[in-house]
Amino acid sequence: MRNYFAGIDIGSTMTKAVILDDGIIASVIGPTGPEHRRLANQVMEEALQRADLPFNAITYIVATGYGRISVPFADRQVTEITCHARGIVSLFPNARTIIDIGGQDSKAITINAKGRPTNFVMNDKCAAGSGRFIEVIADSLGLRLEEMGDISLKSKSPAKISNICTIWAQQEVAARLAEGAPVPDLVAGIHESLADRVARMVKRLKVEKDVILTGGGGKNKGLIHALAKYLDCEILVPEEPLITGALGAALLGKDLVEKALEKNQPLETKERILEEVSIL
Amino acid sequence: MAEEQKKPKKRMTATKAAASIGPMVKEFIKGTVRAREEGTQKLAYTFIVCHHEEILRAMDVLPIWTENFAGICGVKRAAERYLQRAESLGFSRSLCTYALCGLGFDQWREELGEMPPDPPWGGQARPDFMISSGQILCDPRAKWYQAAQQFMPDVPIYNIDLPHPLFDPKRDHREVWGYYHKYIVDQLRGLVSFVEEQTGKKMDYDRLRELTDLSDRTWNLVHETYELRRAVPCPMGTGDAMNTMVPLCFMMATQEAYDFYTNLKQELEEKIANGEGEVDDEKYRLLWGGGLPAWYALTDFNYLNSKGASFPAETTYRMVVPVYEMDIPETDDPIEHIAWKWLGYWTHWYDKARKRPGSEPDVERLIEYIENYKIDGVVMHLAFSCRTWHVGLIWQLHQLAKIYKPIPVLLLGPRGGEEKAQRELPSLILESDIIDISSYSEVDTRNKIDAFIETLEAMQQNRGN
Repeated sequence: MRNYFAGIDIGSTMTKAVILDDGIIASVIGPTGPEHRRLANQVMEEALQRADLPFNAITYIVATGYGRISVPFADRQVTEITCHARGIVSLFPNARTIIDIGGQDSKAITINAKGRPTNFVMNDKCAAGSGRFIEVIADSLGLRLEEMGDISLKSKSPAKISNICTIWAQQEVAARLAEGAPVPDLVAGIHESLADRVARMVKRLKVEKDVILTGGGGKNKGLIHALAKYLDCEILVPEEPLITGALGAALLGKDLVEKALEKNQPLETKERILEEVSIL
Repeated sequence: MAEEQKKPKKRMTATKAAASIGPMVKEFIKGTVRAREEGTQKLAYTFIVCHHEEILRAMDVLPIWTENFAGICGVKRAAERYLQRAESLGFSRSLCTYALCGLGFDQWREELGEMPPDPPWGGQARPDFMISSGQILCDPRAKWYQAAQQFMPDVPIYNIDLPHPLFDPKRDHREVWGYYHKYIVDQLRGLVSFVEEQTGKKMDYDRLRELTDLSDRTWNLVHETYELRRAVPCPMGTGDAMNTMVPLCFMMATQEAYDFYTNLKQELEEKIANGEGEVDDEKYRLLWGGGLPAWYALTDFNYLNSKGASFPAETTYRMVVPVYEMDIPETDDPIEHIAWKWLGYWTHWYDKARKRPGSEPDVERLIEYIENYKIDGVVMHLAFSCRTWHVGLIWQLHQLAKIYKPIPVLLLGPRGGEEKAQRELPSLILESDIIDISSYSEVDTRNKIDAFIETLEAMQQNRGN
């Protein structure tokens, strides 16, 4: 019988699922919303559908992310730090530093050659250190989040945004706009402000190359550009930067199963419940 | 008025001694309120770790440790109303929240002419005088009581200035510490004169000498007791030490403090003999490497314990370099001795730091504990409102990272041969505040702890491979 492994990453903004055997055979990304359990269920079912597999074909499921405890069908819960590390080293064997900029937090992880975390820092106190910062400013400028990065790259002179609070920065942008500042300069200024904050957090660790950026931040060219400037190094980004946590979770499940098989040990699994659950 | 946060869960202690501290502190605080009502003793607002307890005790002055009352408000999650009151008076929330809590409480008590409603453990009694001391350490300690005088203009302040030579890698501090000593002695004699004036009593120097000796013996006993925590498994962790610091910080120069540590030492010896650890299955040994704790979230220590993590050592409230290791001049004058002890404590790690290029005394202290207590990782708490204590912690971690590199190194093995080993030291930086609970998220904190535990687990697997 062939073994399949699933990883599900319930982040504060997006929920991601990956199913793999020897390589990724399906991945799904959807917004988290208020109901972790319902969404986990939906994303998992969609991933199974894409992989054309029944639920009981999955040998092992690992849940990660903030909502990992809300996945009733997972065999194990592992933090996103360990999962990102495992996922990234499978894509970038020379990775030593991972920066994850998510919707409502950001984190940095240093890893060794085996993909095991050696240290980490997290910013979870302030929206100005997360993707939410750019989202709020995009809203107030009437722009789509997806176009923010490209617009910022058009700037020749990024504006200096001095406020470090998202709400006050929003006001500052409005005031600068009223003064006639070009939109690309403001957008670039916002990206630099976020990159500066994230870089300061990352520098708490010993930053070593290769440096990899994951999370929603990895989809934003302007942010990648600004972060490379503030960290003074090249930034590598996976093809799909949102799924590395879920990928790592699935790989950790695979590692566990292979280790158990190798040592002829029983595999610890939990009773799985895959059904529609709602808190509302 | 702010709604107070839900009542905290009680932290489980590993030792009977730590469990006995709550009632002891409660009685201590109630004792100050009683003394105020009955007029039996003069009361002084003051701060811990100023090396002046012997002088106060010798003059029968009852100290009110204002930072610690704020800490108790934090533990009981009752600080918010005092913080908000201070804020409404124009004090910024980004100032020291101990000071804000105290100022909010004082203003309220003075306005009412009695204790504010439902004060923690009877409240903070009105002082007869205040003794401030900024040392080099903390500017709120110098300014807090000046601000409190707005509400208590009749209560005088004496400020003791307690400097120490700053670390200079190129210079032996002994070249200049004589000047510092002379200055500190003058400051302490000034305090004696001030207290004599306030109490109408003359200092009994024989009694002061006895109390100084008792204080030294207690100080050394604390060191010997805490050194027992080197045992594997560790019999008592930092969670408990955040309780057992009370006699060391609140009750020095009392027989009660000496007896407390005698009992604690005996308890730890028994636990070691029985192989009892702070946690049943000790997997990781952690150092509390700096920062005051989030007093309202001490159950986080229990959470760490539940993951197999024990804390054999901490730099916070660990003022226990024994007097006999201080390399300070001997003197029969108790005031001069107190001044030397102060200088000996602050300069203890200077010689070691000078020998390691790029190091600093605080880093040497961490290294000493990491080696002596077989530490696997370091936990620090950055409290946003206490910059004095917390500035530099990240830098210290950077210095440590240079020493404990995450690369294979050759170590001398137990049988004399060289063996490959991984010498890595991961760190966990918790961020919130000492008593401002609005800065704290249990979910985020525990998520960080989970990730840290996984990192330690990975590290142990690395070593195994």
